[in-house]
Amino acid sequence: MLAKVEGVEKRYLKNQALSGVNLKLKAEQVVGLLGLNGAGKTTLLKLLAGLLLPDRGRVEVLGWPPRRVRGQLVYLPEQDPWPAWATPRDLARLMSALFPDFDHGRFHELMAFMEVPKRPLGQMSRGQKARARLAVALARKARLYLLDEPLAGIDLISRDRILKALVREWRSQATIVLSTHEVGEAEGLFDRAVFLKEGRVVLDAEVEALRQQGKSVVETFKEVLA
Amino acid sequence: MNWRINPEAGPIFRQIVDSVKAGLARGTLSPGAKLPSARVLAETLRVNPNTVIRAFEALEREGITETRRGLGTYIREEVDVAAIRETLIRQAAQRYLEEARALGLSSDEALRALEEVMHAGKS
Repeated sequence: MLAKVEGVEKRYLKNQALSGVNLKLKAEQVVGLLGLNGAGKTTLLKLLAGLLLPDRGRVEVLGWPPRRVRGQLVYLPEQDPWPAWATPRDLARLMSALFPDFDHGRFHELMAFMEVPKRPLGQMSRGQKARARLAVALARKARLYLLDEPLAGIDLISRDRILKALVREWRSQATIVLSTHEVGEAEGLFDRAVFLKEGRVVLDAEVEALRQQGKSVVETFKEVLA
Repeated sequence: MNWRINPEAGPIFRQIVDSVKAGLARGTLSPGAKLPSARVLAETLRVNPNTVIRAFEALEREGITETRRGLGTYIREEVDVAAIRETLIRQAAQRYLEEARALGLSSDEALRALEEVMHAGKS
Protein backbone atom coordinates (compact mmCIF):
# COMPACT_ATOMS: atom_id res chain seq x y z
CA MET A 1 0.00 0.00 0.00
CA LEU A 2 1.45 3.32 -1.05
CA ALA A 3 -1.03 5.69 0.52
CA LYS A 4 -4.21 5.54 2.51
CA VAL A 5 -6.99 8.02 3.20
CA GLU A 6 -9.39 6.93 5.95
CA GLY A 7 -12.64 8.54 6.97
CA VAL A 8 -11.38 11.98 6.06
CA GLU A 9 -13.44 15.10 6.69
CA LYS A 10 -12.30 18.54 5.68
CA ARG A 11 -14.20 21.76 6.09
CA TYR A 12 -13.31 25.34 5.14
CA LEU A 13 -15.39 27.70 7.27
CA LYS A 14 -18.94 26.80 6.27
CA ASN A 15 -17.93 24.80 3.26
CA GLN A 16 -17.68 21.03 3.65
CA ALA A 17 -14.90 20.16 1.16
CA LEU A 18 -14.62 16.42 1.85
CA SER A 19 -16.86 14.08 3.82
CA GLY A 20 -16.10 10.49 4.72
CA VAL A 21 -13.47 9.96 2.06
CA ASN A 22 -11.71 6.58 1.94
CA LEU A 23 -9.07 5.80 -0.63
CA LYS A 24 -6.23 3.32 -0.96
CA LEU A 25 -3.48 3.95 -3.45
CA LYS A 26 -1.45 1.01 -4.67
CA ALA A 27 2.06 1.29 -6.04
CA GLU A 28 2.46 1.42 -9.81
CA GLN A 29 -0.87 2.89 -10.76
CA VAL A 30 -2.04 5.88 -12.69
CA VAL A 31 -5.16 7.14 -10.98
CA GLY A 32 -7.50 9.68 -12.51
CA LEU A 33 -9.10 11.88 -9.87
CA LEU A 34 -12.22 13.08 -11.62
CA GLY A 35 -14.88 15.52 -10.72
CA LEU A 36 -16.38 18.89 -11.51
CA ASN A 37 -14.95 22.10 -10.12
CA GLY A 38 -15.51 22.26 -6.38
CA ALA A 39 -15.85 18.48 -5.99
CA GLY A 40 -12.88 18.36 -3.61
CA LYS A 41 -10.12 17.17 -5.94
CA THR A 42 -7.59 19.82 -4.94
CA THR A 43 -8.37 19.40 -1.24
CA LEU A 44 -7.78 15.65 -1.49
CA LEU A 45 -4.48 16.14 -3.33
CA LYS A 46 -3.32 18.72 -0.78
CA LEU A 47 -4.16 16.34 2.06
CA LEU A 48 -2.13 13.60 0.38
CA ALA A 49 0.70 16.08 -0.11
CA GLY A 50 0.60 17.05 3.57
CA LEU A 51 -0.21 20.67 2.75
CA LEU A 52 -3.49 20.41 4.61
CA LEU A 53 -4.44 18.40 7.67
CA PRO A 54 -7.78 16.62 7.88
CA ASP A 55 -10.34 17.74 10.48
CA ARG A 56 -11.12 14.11 11.07
CA GLY A 57 -9.72 10.84 9.77
CA ARG A 58 -6.26 9.82 8.67
CA VAL A 59 -3.95 10.29 5.71
CA GLU A 60 -0.83 8.15 5.35
CA VAL A 61 1.82 7.90 2.68
CA LEU A 62 4.17 4.90 2.97
CA GLY A 63 2.78 4.40 6.46
CA TRP A 64 3.59 7.90 7.65
CA PRO A 65 1.87 11.26 7.83
CA PRO A 66 2.63 12.87 4.42
CA ARG A 67 4.77 15.61 5.99
CA ARG A 68 7.22 12.99 7.24
CA VAL A 69 7.82 11.64 3.73
CA ARG A 70 7.93 14.82 1.67
CA GLY A 71 10.99 13.53 -0.14
CA GLN A 72 8.85 10.70 -1.53
CA LEU A 73 6.11 12.82 -2.97
CA VAL A 74 5.74 15.44 -5.63
CA TYR A 75 2.83 17.87 -5.67
CA LEU A 76 2.16 19.96 -8.73
CA PRO A 77 -0.33 22.68 -7.81
CA GLU A 78 -2.81 24.03 -10.29
CA GLN A 79 -1.71 27.60 -9.68
CA ASP A 80 1.76 28.60 -10.72
CA PRO A 81 3.78 29.75 -7.70
CA TRP A 82 6.85 30.81 -9.70
CA PRO A 83 7.84 34.42 -10.46
CA ALA A 84 7.57 35.58 -14.08
CA TRP A 85 11.29 36.31 -14.41
CA ALA A 86 12.31 32.73 -13.54
CA THR A 87 13.65 30.59 -16.38
CA PRO A 88 13.35 26.79 -16.39
CA ARG A 89 17.00 26.71 -15.34
CA ASP A 90 16.23 28.83 -12.30
CA LEU A 91 13.44 26.43 -11.36
CA ALA A 92 15.76 23.46 -11.73
CA ARG A 93 18.37 25.12 -9.51
CA LEU A 94 15.81 25.92 -6.84
CA MET A 95 14.28 22.44 -6.94
CA SER A 96 17.61 20.68 -6.69
CA ALA A 97 18.46 22.81 -3.66
CA LEU A 98 15.17 21.80 -2.03
CA PHE A 99 15.05 18.17 -3.09
CA PRO A 100 18.13 15.96 -3.31
CA ASP A 101 16.25 13.55 -5.61
CA PHE A 102 15.99 16.18 -8.37
CA ASP A 103 17.64 14.72 -11.46
CA HIS A 104 19.15 17.37 -13.77
CA GLY A 105 19.72 14.92 -16.60
CA ARG A 106 16.13 13.88 -16.55
CA PHE A 107 14.98 17.48 -16.32
CA HIS A 108 16.87 18.44 -19.49
CA GLU A 109 15.61 15.34 -21.26
CA LEU A 110 12.03 16.24 -20.36
CA MET A 111 12.50 19.86 -21.42
CA ALA A 112 13.79 18.71 -24.80
CA PHE A 113 11.11 16.05 -25.17
CA MET A 114 8.30 18.50 -24.44
CA GLU A 115 10.03 21.23 -26.45
CA VAL A 116 10.00 23.84 -23.73
CA PRO A 117 11.70 27.12 -24.65
CA LYS A 118 14.46 28.42 -22.36
CA ARG A 119 12.90 31.86 -21.80
CA PRO A 120 11.54 33.25 -18.52
CA LEU A 121 8.12 31.86 -17.57
CA GLY A 122 6.57 35.30 -18.03
CA GLN A 123 7.39 35.13 -21.73
CA MET A 124 5.91 31.69 -22.29
CA SER A 125 2.43 30.72 -23.43
CA ARG A 126 0.22 28.98 -20.89
CA GLY A 127 0.87 25.65 -22.56
CA GLN A 128 4.64 26.12 -22.56
CA LYS A 129 4.53 27.10 -18.92
CA ALA A 130 2.48 24.01 -18.08
CA ARG A 131 5.06 21.85 -19.87
CA ALA A 132 7.95 23.54 -18.01
CA ARG A 133 6.22 22.98 -14.66
CA LEU A 134 5.58 19.34 -15.47
CA ALA A 135 9.22 18.86 -16.43
CA VAL A 136 10.24 20.23 -13.04
CA ALA A 137 7.75 17.96 -11.27
CA LEU A 138 8.67 14.77 -13.12
CA ALA A 139 12.41 15.36 -12.79
CA ARG A 140 12.18 14.32 -9.16
CA LYS A 141 12.44 10.64 -8.30
CA ALA A 142 9.53 10.18 -5.96
CA ARG A 143 7.07 7.41 -5.24
CA LEU A 144 3.90 9.47 -5.43
CA TYR A 145 3.19 12.22 -7.97
CA LEU A 146 0.17 14.37 -7.24
CA LEU A 147 -0.70 16.44 -10.29
CA ASP A 148 -3.51 18.94 -9.97
CA GLU A 149 -5.13 19.70 -13.32
CA PRO A 150 -1.96 19.56 -15.43
CA LEU A 151 -4.08 19.68 -18.60
CA ALA A 152 -6.49 22.47 -17.75
CA GLY A 153 -6.78 25.55 -19.92
CA ILE A 154 -3.87 24.82 -22.25
CA ASP A 155 -3.60 24.22 -25.97
CA LEU A 156 -4.06 20.87 -27.67
CA ILE A 157 -0.41 20.40 -28.61
CA SER A 158 0.74 21.07 -25.06
CA ARG A 159 -1.84 18.64 -23.69
CA ASP A 160 -0.64 16.00 -26.11
CA ARG A 161 3.02 16.56 -25.20
CA ILE A 162 2.19 16.36 -21.51
CA LEU A 163 0.29 13.10 -21.93
CA LYS A 164 3.14 11.63 -23.93
CA ALA A 165 5.67 12.74 -21.34
CA LEU A 166 3.56 11.17 -18.60
CA VAL A 167 3.50 7.83 -20.39
CA ARG A 168 7.20 8.06 -21.05
CA GLU A 169 8.22 9.06 -17.55
CA TRP A 170 5.90 6.87 -15.60
CA ARG A 171 8.10 4.16 -14.22
CA SER A 172 7.24 1.13 -12.23
CA GLN A 173 7.08 1.81 -8.51
CA ALA A 174 5.73 5.30 -9.04
CA THR A 175 2.09 6.15 -8.63
CA ILE A 176 0.56 9.13 -10.35
CA VAL A 177 -2.65 10.75 -9.21
CA LEU A 178 -3.85 13.18 -11.82
CA SER A 179 -6.90 15.35 -11.31
CA THR A 180 -8.75 16.58 -14.34
CA HIS A 181 -12.16 17.58 -15.55
CA GLU A 182 -11.09 17.04 -19.16
CA VAL A 183 -11.42 13.32 -19.10
CA GLY A 184 -11.45 12.26 -22.73
CA GLU A 185 -7.84 12.82 -23.71
CA ALA A 186 -6.38 11.47 -20.51
CA GLU A 187 -8.50 8.39 -20.00
CA GLY A 188 -6.23 5.99 -21.90
CA LEU A 189 -3.58 6.73 -19.31
CA PHE A 190 -5.51 5.68 -16.24
CA ASP A 191 -5.45 2.32 -14.53
CA ARG A 192 -8.15 3.48 -12.25
CA ALA A 193 -10.64 6.32 -11.97
CA VAL A 194 -11.88 7.86 -8.74
CA PHE A 195 -14.96 10.02 -9.15
CA LEU A 196 -15.54 12.76 -6.60
CA LYS A 197 -18.83 14.54 -6.23
CA GLU A 198 -19.56 17.15 -3.60
CA GLY A 199 -16.75 15.95 -1.37
CA ARG A 200 -17.53 12.26 -1.57
CA VAL A 201 -16.07 9.38 -3.56
CA VAL A 202 -19.04 8.24 -5.64
CA LEU A 203 -17.21 5.64 -7.71
CA ASP A 204 -13.77 4.05 -7.65
CA ALA A 205 -13.18 1.65 -10.54
CA GLU A 206 -10.59 0.00 -12.75
CA VAL A 207 -11.05 1.66 -16.13
CA GLU A 208 -10.58 -1.45 -18.26
CA ALA A 209 -13.30 -3.11 -16.17
CA LEU A 210 -15.59 -0.16 -16.93
CA ARG A 211 -14.82 -0.57 -20.63
CA GLN A 212 -15.52 -4.29 -20.33
CA GLN A 213 -19.01 -3.30 -19.22
CA GLY A 214 -19.27 -1.16 -22.33
CA LYS A 215 -18.64 2.20 -20.71
CA SER A 216 -15.81 4.60 -21.31
CA VAL A 217 -14.55 6.83 -18.52
CA VAL A 218 -16.15 9.81 -20.26
CA GLU A 219 -19.55 8.11 -20.32
CA THR A 220 -19.19 7.04 -16.71
CA PHE A 221 -18.20 10.61 -15.80
CA LYS A 222 -21.42 11.94 -17.30
CA GLU A 223 -23.49 9.21 -15.70
CA VAL A 224 -22.03 9.41 -12.22
CA LEU A 225 -21.50 13.13 -11.91
CA ALA A 226 -24.57 14.49 -13.68
CA MET B 1 0.62 -0.81 -39.05
CA ASN B 2 -2.63 0.82 -38.11
CA TRP B 3 -3.42 0.97 -34.40
CA ARG B 4 -7.01 1.91 -33.85
CA ILE B 5 -7.74 2.70 -30.26
CA ASN B 6 -10.99 4.19 -29.08
CA PRO B 7 -11.58 4.37 -25.31
CA GLU B 8 -15.31 4.24 -25.98
CA ALA B 9 -15.06 0.88 -27.77
CA GLY B 10 -14.34 -1.60 -25.01
CA PRO B 11 -11.15 -2.56 -23.17
CA ILE B 12 -8.06 -0.98 -24.71
CA PHE B 13 -5.92 -4.12 -24.23
CA ARG B 14 -8.44 -6.06 -26.33
CA GLN B 15 -8.29 -3.39 -29.05
CA ILE B 16 -4.49 -3.67 -29.20
CA VAL B 17 -4.77 -7.46 -29.55
CA ASP B 18 -7.37 -7.02 -32.30
CA SER B 19 -5.20 -4.44 -34.11
CA VAL B 20 -2.36 -6.97 -34.29
CA LYS B 21 -4.70 -9.67 -35.61
CA ALA B 22 -6.20 -7.29 -38.17
CA GLY B 23 -2.68 -6.26 -39.23
CA LEU B 24 -1.78 -9.91 -39.82
CA ALA B 25 -5.00 -10.66 -41.67
CA ARG B 26 -4.53 -7.64 -43.93
CA GLY B 27 -0.87 -8.24 -44.50
CA THR B 28 0.35 -4.96 -43.02
CA LEU B 29 2.06 -7.10 -40.36
CA SER B 30 3.99 -10.26 -41.30
CA PRO B 31 5.10 -13.32 -39.40
CA GLY B 32 8.54 -12.64 -37.93
CA ALA B 33 7.90 -8.90 -37.67
CA LYS B 34 9.03 -7.07 -34.57
CA LEU B 35 6.42 -5.19 -32.57
CA PRO B 36 7.30 -1.85 -31.00
CA SER B 37 8.26 -2.10 -27.33
CA ALA B 38 5.43 -1.76 -24.84
CA ARG B 39 6.75 1.61 -23.76
CA VAL B 40 7.03 3.02 -27.26
CA LEU B 41 3.59 1.73 -28.20
CA ALA B 42 2.12 3.18 -24.99
CA GLU B 43 3.62 6.54 -25.89
CA THR B 44 2.33 6.40 -29.45
CA LEU B 45 -1.18 5.51 -28.33
CA ARG B 46 -1.14 7.71 -25.19
CA VAL B 47 -2.20 4.75 -23.09
CA ASN B 48 -1.02 3.22 -19.86
CA PRO B 49 2.06 0.97 -20.34
CA ASN B 50 0.35 -1.66 -18.12
CA THR B 51 -2.43 -1.92 -20.68
CA VAL B 52 0.02 -2.56 -23.51
CA ILE B 53 1.88 -5.15 -21.43
CA ARG B 54 -1.42 -6.88 -20.76
CA ALA B 55 -2.17 -6.93 -24.50
CA PHE B 56 1.26 -8.39 -25.26
CA GLU B 57 0.70 -11.10 -22.65
CA ALA B 58 -2.63 -11.97 -24.24
CA LEU B 59 -1.02 -12.15 -27.69
CA GLU B 60 1.66 -14.45 -26.37
CA ARG B 61 -0.92 -16.70 -24.69
CA GLU B 62 -2.79 -16.95 -27.97
CA GLY B 63 0.40 -18.08 -29.66
CA ILE B 64 0.61 -15.03 -31.92
CA THR B 65 3.75 -13.44 -30.53
CA GLU B 66 6.84 -14.52 -28.68
CA THR B 67 9.21 -12.56 -26.50
CA ARG B 68 12.85 -12.95 -27.38
CA ARG B 69 14.79 -12.11 -24.33
CA GLY B 70 16.58 -8.80 -24.58
CA LEU B 71 15.36 -8.30 -28.13
CA GLY B 72 11.66 -7.59 -27.88
CA THR B 73 8.32 -8.99 -28.97
CA TYR B 74 8.01 -10.66 -32.37
CA ILE B 75 5.18 -12.16 -34.38
CA ARG B 76 5.83 -15.90 -34.41
CA GLU B 77 7.01 -17.29 -37.74
CA GLU B 78 4.55 -20.16 -37.54
CA VAL B 79 1.50 -18.02 -36.76
CA ASP B 80 -1.55 -19.24 -38.67
CA VAL B 81 -2.53 -16.13 -40.62
CA ALA B 82 -5.17 -17.99 -42.62
CA ALA B 83 -6.93 -19.06 -39.42
CA ILE B 84 -6.87 -15.51 -38.07
CA ARG B 85 -8.26 -14.20 -41.34
CA GLU B 86 -10.95 -16.86 -41.26
CA THR B 87 -11.95 -15.89 -37.71
CA LEU B 88 -12.08 -12.20 -38.56
CA ILE B 89 -14.22 -12.70 -41.66
CA ARG B 90 -16.59 -14.91 -39.69
CA GLN B 91 -16.89 -12.25 -37.01
CA ALA B 92 -17.62 -9.65 -39.70
CA ALA B 93 -20.22 -11.99 -41.24
CA GLN B 94 -21.78 -12.46 -37.82
CA ARG B 95 -22.02 -8.69 -37.35
CA TYR B 96 -23.60 -8.35 -40.79
CA LEU B 97 -26.14 -11.05 -40.02
CA GLU B 98 -27.04 -9.46 -36.69
CA GLU B 99 -27.51 -6.10 -38.39
CA ALA B 100 -29.72 -7.67 -41.06
CA ARG B 101 -31.83 -9.43 -38.42
CA ALA B 102 -32.13 -6.23 -36.43
CA LEU B 103 -33.54 -4.67 -39.60
CA GLY B 104 -36.07 -7.50 -39.80
CA LEU B 105 -34.52 -9.31 -42.79
CA SER B 106 -34.53 -13.07 -43.10
CA SER B 107 -31.26 -14.95 -43.65
CA ASP B 108 -32.17 -15.42 -47.33
CA GLU B 109 -32.85 -11.73 -47.77
CA ALA B 110 -29.59 -10.86 -46.06
CA LEU B 111 -27.70 -13.23 -48.35
CA ARG B 112 -29.43 -11.80 -51.42
CA ALA B 113 -28.51 -8.25 -50.39
CA LEU B 114 -24.89 -9.32 -50.02
CA GLU B 115 -24.91 -10.92 -53.47
CA GLU B 116 -26.48 -7.88 -55.04
CA VAL B 117 -23.83 -5.61 -53.54
CA MET B 118 -21.12 -7.97 -54.78
CA HIS B 119 -22.51 -8.00 -58.30
CA ALA B 120 -22.94 -4.24 -58.29
CA GLY B 121 -19.31 -3.95 -57.23
CA LYS B 122 -18.16 -6.11 -60.14
CA SER B 123 -19.85 -4.24 -62.97
